[in-house]
Parts: sequence; C-alpha cells; structure tokens
Amino acid sequence: MEGPIQMKDIHIEERVVSDHKAKITARGVQVYYGTNHALKDVDVDILAGTVTAFIGPSGCGKSTFLRCLNRMNDTVSSARVVGEILLDGEDIYDKRVDPVQLRAKVGMVFQKPNPFPKSIYDNVAYGPKIHGLTRNKAELDEVVESCLRKAALWNEVKDRLQAPGTGLSGGQQQRLCIARAIATSPEVLLMDEPCSALDPIATAQVEELIDELRSQFSVVIVTHSMQQAARVSQKTAFFHLGNLVEYGETGQIFTNPKDPRTESYITGRIG
Amino acid sequence: MEPHIRSAFDKDLEGVQALVMKMGGLVEDALLQAAKALETRDDDLAERIRAGDRVIDELEELVHTECARIIALRAPTASDLRTVLTVMRIVASLERSGDYAKNLAKRSLVLAQMQPISGSAGSITRMARSVVGLLKDSLDAFVARDAVMAEDVRRRDAEVDQMYNALFREFLTHMMEDPRNITACMHLHFIAKNIERVGDHATGIAEQVIYLVKGRMPEEERPKNDVTSLVPRGKE
Repeated sequence: MEGPIQMKDIHIEERVVSDHKAKITARGVQVYYGTNHALKDVDVDILAGTVTAFIGPSGCGKSTFLRCLNRMNDTVSSARVVGEILLDGEDIYDKRVDPVQLRAKVGMVFQKPNPFPKSIYDNVAYGPKIHGLTRNKAELDEVVESCLRKAALWNEVKDRLQAPGTGLSGGQQQRLCIARAIATSPEVLLMDEPCSALDPIATAQVEELIDELRSQFSVVIVTHSMQQAARVSQKTAFFHLGNLVEYGETGQIFTNPKDPRTESYITGRIG
Repeated sequence: MEPHIRSAFDKDLEGVQALVMKMGGLVEDALLQAAKALETRDDDLAERIRAGDRVIDELEELVHTECARIIALRAPTASDLRTVLTVMRIVASLERSGDYAKNLAKRSLVLAQMQPISGSAGSITRMARSVVGLLKDSLDAFVARDAVMAEDVRRRDAEVDQMYNALFREFLTHMMEDPRNITACMHLHFIAKNIERVGDHATGIAEQVIYLVKGRMPEEERPKNDVTSLVPRGKE
C-alpha cells in the first residue's frame, strides 16, 4: 500500500469562499422611513467574488438594506440612514462621494424590467458611452455583443439590435437590463428579485449568468425564492422584522441553520 | 445526459460521484491488501489496513454531508434525485465492506500467531480477488450507467457463493480432523463469510445501478448459491 491517504488530502473544489476579502463592510446600519425603524443595527461583510443572497419575508428590510448599498435610499426623502457602509474601505456615505459614480461601481437590476425607451443596442451601449469606457464603435459593438451574450439574450436579438428595447417580452427586457447593468463593468451588482418575471429556463440562464459574474465581481441578490437563494449563492443572510437574524455559508443556512427563526422560515413555518 | 443549464449543479453531482469512486478504490485496495497480509503473515500491513479504515468512514460522512447539501440547495428531481439516493446507498455498502476488510486484517493478526491451515490463505485471496472484481464492476457500471454490466455483477455473485460453500466444507473437515484447528478455522470461516458478504454488497450496488438507470429495482430473484444455512437433505 503506498502512503496512506489522509482525509486532509481530500477536498471538494470550489467550496472555499470564506477566505475572500470583504468588498462591502456594513457596521451598525439603521434605516428609518420617517418614524418607522425599518432596519435595525445591521453588521455584515459582503465578500468579493461571492454571490450573497438576502432572504426573508416581505417587509423584513432586505430590499431596504440592498438599496443602502448604492445609496438608492437617497432618492426617498423620508429615509434616513445611520451607521457605516464601506466599499473597499471607503465610506460610501461620505460627502465627497458622488452617488452617480458610486452607482457605476455598484450596479443594480430591479424586480420590474425598466429598459430605456431606446433601441436594444443603445440600452446596453448607454453606460459605456457616458462613462467613456470604449474608444471606438468597433469596441462598443464588442461590449454590446458580449454583454448580450452573457445575459443569454444575444441569439434572440442579434438581428434586431435597432428595435426598441421596450418591444421585447418581459423576460427578454429583464435580461436586457442585466446586460445594461454589466456593460459598465461594475464591481458589485445588486439584484432585487431579478427573476420574478422570468420563465424557468430563462431563470436558469440568468442564474448561470450570476454564477459566471461572480468571478468578476460581488453579486448581492434579494429573492423570495428560497430555492433560488440556495442554488445561486455562497452566502445567505436572513432578515426578519428589520433584523439581520443569521448570516452564513449557504449550505449551512439550508442544512443546519443556527437560529430557530431561520429554521422556521426556510422550512415554511413562519412567513 | 445533456449538461444542466446551471453548470454548478453538474459540478456538485460529479464531485460527489468522484468521492464514491475514491472510496470504492480504497475499499478494493483494503480487501486485497488484507488478504495479502493474511497470506504473507504481515502484521505491519494488517495494522496499516486497520488504521486506514478511518479514511473510508470519514469519506462516507463527507458524501452524506454533500448529498444533504445537494438535496437542500439543488432540489434534485428524476434521474438527478435517483443519483443522489443511489450514491447514499452505495457509500453505506462501501463503508460496511471497508469494515469487513478491517476485520479481516484484525483476524489475520490473530491467525499469524497460530499454525497455518494448509491452502486456506490462498483460497481466501482468490475469493477476495473475485469479490473485488464484482465491486469494481458494480462501480464501473454506476459511472457508466450500465444496467447490463450491473446485471452481470448480480449473476456473478453466485460464483463467490460457491467459493464460500467450498471453503465452509473445507474448514469443517479441518476441524473434524484435529480439534486444535478449531480456533484458526473459526477465524478463517468468519473471514470467508465476511468476504462473501462484500459480494452481497457489490450485488446491492449493482441493483442500485439498475434502479438508477431504469427507475425501478430489478424484478427477478437474484441467483443464490450459498447453501450452508440450509438444512441438509434427508435430515429434515
């Protein structure tokens, strides 16, 4: 018998995410809408190269927290954000930070598809154009094609790139929005229920896309489908009544949650 | 099979099947080496096999954890679900077979202190080789999703049963000839019986493969040749 095999020689590949660095660090984040205390003292590290899922019942604060991460709450006049959110160590709520520049780095895909009233091509090309990311038309064409391919939309639209984006079906519009969001090469991509309007095959394609995107940036996804959170993410955070109840490795959350509230929620006993 | 749109699912399934094959390789090796330790009266080798069983046990745990993850995270259906269920049953059989190899090694340490029973170690080795062949083919059938090959394993287990019957009679003869052989023959008999059981586990794996491929367990009774537990004719 050649040297005995030890358990430490046996690994399951691709499981190790815990040694990834923190991309976003949130400490003591509180959000108030007027007098309503929507988010209570959230501490969390969003890791680079990782898909993080936020789950929880409606009104638990998961979307609120997501919107803090690229200052979308600035647009809600009654909202007040307390605490600290750092992107690569820099406070995104610092006065010197331009929210528009921040949102180029922290892109977002919404629940309802919202393409610009422009052509399919221009929807994707818009970001790279205004941020000056390409030098000429050929480069821009390339970016548009690669983003549409990544979003699993290219084959359906390649012959009608000049048609209006709003003329696509709901599922296609959503994939167009994803293509648009990744066209500026963001560092973090926030997705709020990105698949709720898609059929199962398009959902599977978008989920595969999310998994690919992870090699380039952090993805944070809010979803009501626990199965989707289980399938696409490496880390899961469970929110309940404005509290971050549990945050951990997705496999652990779905096989052996620590908090009884998490267990109740994922097994369908509380909502 | 077409790959899944979500390639991570394929990776998970392949990963867990690779662990099964690794475990199978360790069990096959442990059985052959344990027979060799018996034949060559090699105590060091026997000790190494006893210690090596821990890795087999831990691999089973790891596969269980992985299967739990796949069920929780991927909600497998149809052939994917059958794969996961099959994997769980295969590793249980492999773990048990590993225990038998360990037991063989343990008994070979005791037997090394005694007068050898002529021809027995060679017969045990031959039987171990046959059984390892069954185990290997059943796992190959699993990887290839080959129900025909699995059927063949089911049939061939009868040969192992015959080898066991022959050894059973041989040991009886030795014991009747000289009562001082009884302790050694009892140990040897347990070894033979355990190897025969590994054959049954290989057959069980083959049946799981048939379930995996066809979606149902094989219908017809499997041929059996172990007659030692039957009452001899004329004495009923």
